[in-house]
Amino acid sequence: MRIVLLECKKVIMSPVIIGLFLLFTAFNLLVIFNSSDHREELKIVNEIIDTYGREITPSSLELFKIDIQNDLLELEQLSGKRYDSVYDFLEGLDMEAYERYSEKEKTFISQLQLKEMYESTASSIDENYAKIDIEKFGQTSLEMYQVSGQAAKTYLAENEKFAKRFEEMIQNGEHKQWFFAGKAYMMHTFLFKNIFLQMTIEILLLVVLSTAFLATYEFEQRSHLVTFSTRRGRKLLLDKLAASLAMAVAIAALVLGSTLGVFFMVFDYSHVWETSISSAFNWEYNFPNVAWWDLSVGQFLLAVIGMLFIAILLFSGLTFAISILVKNSYITFFLVAAGFILLYMLPGFIPHSSNWVFAVGYTLPTLVMAIPGLFMGSSGLIFFKNFEWVTISAWTVFTIITLVISYRRFAKLDIQ
Amino acid sequence: MRILWNEMKKILTWKSLLLLLIINCILYFFLIDFYIKHFPNGRPALDSYRIGIEMIDKYGPSMDDEEFKDFLKTYDAQVKEADQYLQSDPQAVEEGIDTYKKFMDYDWNNAPQEVWKIREQIFFEEKVNTFWELQERERLIEFHELKEMEPGGTTPAQKKQYAKLAKEGIFGNYPEIVITNFHDYISNVAVAILFSVVAVMSPMILRDRTRQIVPLQYTARKGRSLLKTKLLAGFLSTLLVVTSLLVIYMGLYSLNNTSMFFDVRINTFIGNESWYNPTFLQYILFTIGGIYLVGIAFGLAAMGFSTIVPNTLTLLGVQIPFVAGFLIFGLNRMITFPMNMWFPKWQMPVFFGLLLLSSLIFVWYVIRREKKMDIML
Repeated sequence: MRIVLLECKKVIMSPVIIGLFLLFTAFNLLVIFNSSDHREELKIVNEIIDTYGREITPSSLELFKIDIQNDLLELEQLSGKRYDSVYDFLEGLDMEAYERYSEKEKTFISQLQLKEMYESTASSIDENYAKIDIEKFGQTSLEMYQVSGQAAKTYLAENEKFAKRFEEMIQNGEHKQWFFAGKAYMMHTFLFKNIFLQMTIEILLLVVLSTAFLATYEFEQRSHLVTFSTRRGRKLLLDKLAASLAMAVAIAALVLGSTLGVFFMVFDYSHVWETSISSAFNWEYNFPNVAWWDLSVGQFLLAVIGMLFIAILLFSGLTFAISILVKNSYITFFLVAAGFILLYMLPGFIPHSSNWVFAVGYTLPTLVMAIPGLFMGSSGLIFFKNFEWVTISAWTVFTIITLVISYRRFAKLDIQ
Repeated sequence: MRILWNEMKKILTWKSLLLLLIINCILYFFLIDFYIKHFPNGRPALDSYRIGIEMIDKYGPSMDDEEFKDFLKTYDAQVKEADQYLQSDPQAVEEGIDTYKKFMDYDWNNAPQEVWKIREQIFFEEKVNTFWELQERERLIEFHELKEMEPGGTTPAQKKQYAKLAKEGIFGNYPEIVITNFHDYISNVAVAILFSVVAVMSPMILRDRTRQIVPLQYTARKGRSLLKTKLLAGFLSTLLVVTSLLVIYMGLYSLNNTSMFFDVRINTFIGNESWYNPTFLQYILFTIGGIYLVGIAFGLAAMGFSTIVPNTLTLLGVQIPFVAGFLIFGLNRMITFPMNMWFPKWQMPVFFGLLLLSSLIFVWYVIRREKKMDIML
């Protein structure tokens, strides 16, 4: 145990790791604060959920509409004219007239504007979802990705399953829950794509560096002749592996913890944790986000973090295996980077008519790069329901085998 | 001289050449391949490219008002061609779209299925060049007519430059496809070369120290000044790596076949208003020079770090923020759009100056440090 701690200390005490961690965190926070202009506007959803409940039912929507009508009456007193919508009012308003209103009145107007936006989105949910034809969507996707032959059959079979899930989701009313307006703020993309992608790359850099550093330390510091002739001997590598994995967890926890902590302080998610991730408000691009399971935003976040942790551990393990084969941390770093990009690009090299095009997408790099689309049935060529667990288990097996092989090879290695 | 040669052999070992090959192959397919393989990318782009060549053939590297009249004549002739095509199509005549004007004015948003089919047949099944080209020509004419318009929200310096360009009669009215493609291509090439230089140069001096042969080297007659030779060897290797990669990448770029555009000045391309006005060829040479400077600066910095860091972890870790910082803040200003008016005029030279100066000062510091360093075993 003491050896593991001492190995960990090598990473913890290294100024580069600490410096990089601080720099990365500062950069993440900069990105968060730079995009926080609309943080106050988001709070309207909390009010809506407090007043009308999380679910959008016909009766609660009716209540909401009545309240908006009351607000419009108030607007009538303010402006002296009757408007059907605050947007009509704003259209006929020039900058100077707007400036004449007091701060309080301005807030009232902008609040009303937001309420009307949410109301109109909520009222058109049924209409918009009725327009979605999953089968037709599948056909267009096939054309878009130029998938044909056997692969197309596989895709359509899975798409049929997804169509069932889509029906079920509508039956459950998962889409009728309040969330931040997706088209206006893109919070799902911002959090799970921008912020998470950034964090993933940062964590990977730190983890690959520290793992390769630990695994090759003795060789690079020329202390291998001493350490591997001690009683602990080559089993020291097991301690090093344990230390690497522990450091990977620690690094991931620190980066995720600090950045996400600030993120949720800046953006108030307190009321929407239990909203379904498949909410109609989480519709950002031309197709809504629809998960394979009934996941809430909180559960989705936890699941994604869980996936990321496992993936990071696997990356650490793989880096370790490569390190002790190559015995050079510099080369290891570039090999891992090259392998990452290569695996990520692999589906592009496979003919789009065989099932291999899907199979080679089940890789760790694809998994960590596709975080916003994990567990989703709406995420292109990796929309398969089994994508996450198959990828993780296959790569766990692969990592363990690689580790065993490289350890065995190392155990017999001629150390000079 | 012999030591220099031997040091260079230590940098460019077959292992590091292999690393170079791997990095470039992967980055080529990841970043660069697209801009070669898919140029021009799809239909309106191809027409844009062809019309651009036609314009250069007919009007030379710029188009004055007389020549623009001729351009309009060509357009009219082509409209007639399109009219004839539509009139020969019984289905189109039946639907009442027997001239190009009617075809364009047709309310396509509410078009019934059969009428859509005519359109799809023209554009996608038969791929009638006339119709595609007409669209592109219309776009060019529109840009020509809007040429006097200045974008809003400009700074005084930008206003002055716009006025100067207008006075000299320089307007963006040539298809911009070639230069856009070059922007994308060259910035990705710069990324690949930057990574290559950093990866090859970084370990060289550190390797000697981890092998603990530096004390041995100090006892030679050359002594401490060996570091200078190492740095020189590194500098020459950087030049070698950058040059050979540039030769390969520029060779690949020649596959795009853009040499007809070489004499066109960069301000003449649509939406490409710049502070300076070199020809396209001069612009290409300028960006190549820029890549050399970036490569040399990062190569020198890599060697500097290599001299002072204790291990590879630090060597890689220290350089990550610099490379990332360059990619985020520097690449656009120095390589992709070095002359573009989006950025203030002073930025490009200042950025290049700072980059080069800081790396030179760093190397100077490293050399001085070596002279005074305590030797302990």
